[in-house]
Amino acid sequence: MGNGIVVSIRGLTKIYRQGDIEVTALNGINLDIAEGEFLALMGPSGSGKSTLLHIIAGVDRPTSGECVVQGINLSLLSETELADWRNQNVGFIFQTFNLIPVLTAYENVELPLLLTSLSRRERRQQVETALELVGLADRAKHLPRQLSGGQEQRVAIARALVTDPALIVADEPTGNLDAHSAQEVLGVLQTLSKKAGKTVILVTHDPKAAAYGTRFVHLEKGELTN
Amino acid sequence: MTLATFIIKNAVRNKRRAALSILSVAASLFLLVTLLVFQRELTLPPEEAGAALRVVVRNRVSLGQPLPARQRPIIEKITGVEAVTPFSWFGGVFKDEKFPSFAQFALDPKMLRHVFGEAKVTPGAYEAFESERTGCIIGKLTADKYKIKVGDIIKFTSDIYAVSLEFKVVGIYWGTIDDRNCLFNQKYLDEATGNHGMVGTWWVKVRSTEDMPAVIQAINNAFANTSSEVRAESERAFQLNFVSMWGNIKTLVTLISTVVVFTLVLVSASTMSMAVRERFRELAILKALGFQRRELFAFILAESFGLAGFGAVVGIGWAWLLYSQTRWAGILLGAVAAAFAANFLKLLFHREWLGAFLALLAAAGLAAAAKFIYAKGSIAGLTQNFMNTFDVTPRIIGFALLVAACLGVVASLAPSWAVVRASVVEGLKTLD
Repeated sequence: MGNGIVVSIRGLTKIYRQGDIEVTALNGINLDIAEGEFLALMGPSGSGKSTLLHIIAGVDRPTSGECVVQGINLSLLSETELADWRNQNVGFIFQTFNLIPVLTAYENVELPLLLTSLSRRERRQQVETALELVGLADRAKHLPRQLSGGQEQRVAIARALVTDPALIVADEPTGNLDAHSAQEVLGVLQTLSKKAGKTVILVTHDPKAAAYGTRFVHLEKGELTN
Repeated sequence: MTLATFIIKNAVRNKRRAALSILSVAASLFLLVTLLVFQRELTLPPEEAGAALRVVVRNRVSLGQPLPARQRPIIEKITGVEAVTPFSWFGGVFKDEKFPSFAQFALDPKMLRHVFGEAKVTPGAYEAFESERTGCIIGKLTADKYKIKVGDIIKFTSDIYAVSLEFKVVGIYWGTIDDRNCLFNQKYLDEATGNHGMVGTWWVKVRSTEDMPAVIQAINNAFANTSSEVRAESERAFQLNFVSMWGNIKTLVTLISTVVVFTLVLVSASTMSMAVRERFRELAILKALGFQRRELFAFILAESFGLAGFGAVVGIGWAWLLYSQTRWAGILLGAVAAAFAANFLKLLFHREWLGAFLALLAAAGLAAAAKFIYAKGSIAGLTQNFMNTFDVTPRIIGFALLVAACLGVVASLAPSWAVVRASVVEGLKTLD
């Protein structure tokens, strides 16, 4: 996309079917997100924030409409192509950190790189860089249970960063953190957006968290309200 | 880190469950190997070195029917026959035992060395056996078991004849495939029972293997249409016929083996399902990070295969060691007992009373088992001479490994299918 638009969404609808019941999670969403933008996606529970995030990140598919990320219409990719695309283009950050408990911080960050053709040395360089970026180079050999919640989330951010993706999606990343740790994590995301030029999409309930973004959009019953 | 490291770390993340899974596979495969070897021993008895030149002649009606002694000179005259001896089952119960624990056979002492030449005997045993009417030669395994030595007087009460016989042990034999029997003079049996005209079977030594078919044919023909028709056959054929009477036991053993394998599959599949269910969230995360379905399937398969393979090595290896290198099995078990004893001290030091108690129990149990196995020293010792050989053959090992491999694959199918089928979003929904 030559105009600096990383994510372009047009007429996006997502309907979940459970037996005879249909639930419209997203209804005709149109949204553009520019490169390097830090977008905060807000809305009450059940408004469709996470669904929209999942579709943008390529882990879910829309019922209709299109979602083009970095010029690629995700609906046209097969499951295998989509998995490869996610590995190369998207960094995930979850509310519950979701680190693998038997792996050290270093190994958790290295995990997405195992799918690449990088040598062990190249992998080490990237992992160390990512851990330094989040300020946890000295915790590389710690297991997740030996880290605080904030540190675990920063390891998760390092894991999201390590493949150098254009897009970082964060689903309530501060939901399980105390105020101080939440500030640290949001600060890191802000830095990534401002200094590294990453496009960050943050799903949150918290207006204070949303304030770290360069823009925020509000979802209500599956529709954008601003 | 490599993918292999990742798989290993996952497999042993719950050490207790991994250990129990491995032990359950190992115990089941040990049982399977034991059953297969037992079945093989029943249906395919080991072959004696001299068996290729021996013919067994029995009553055509049944093995239980005797043969007339007058047949002997007729058999001896057949071309190719080198030696003939009667061979009569006595069915004696030793001392105060309740059932015959080893066999006694009456034969012609002069023919012993000719017909059963592969046996090794104590010096002077042949001569003493030939000269002493009440003399007997006894197998080394039995002699060792009952601490019988040359010169002892031993007594048997027959289940077949209404007599009790006393024998003087004049020698001990060994080096045959069955070193358990007691051999004594047919004449002594005849005199004691007052029956001079009948024997159990004839055992015939043939000059060469080329002569075997003709000799068998000639013996069968010689007594055709007489009141005592015979069935002559090679020793091997006789043994196979004999063990075919175990038919039902073979079926039973096959059934038990099938149940063992089936149970093994259920246990392993259940373990793998639990392991995967526990990690369903993580597997969804891996999918989100870009891992393909085939890679997740490979992870689960490798883990399942690894646990089954490790269990197989332990179970099959232990069976082989116990049955083929019994003393070494005792030593190994002793080492394991020592490890538990060391762990007991460590736990005691840390005041972990329950753990220490359990470690002590395990150490004591294993030490007792190790002592028992080492003292028995062989499969014959372990089974009170019931089994003489118990060969864990390469074929049985191969079959057990194949069962383990199939187990690894089958156990991983259901959890793999669940993971592959679930979407990333479904997995992620379980996160929050």
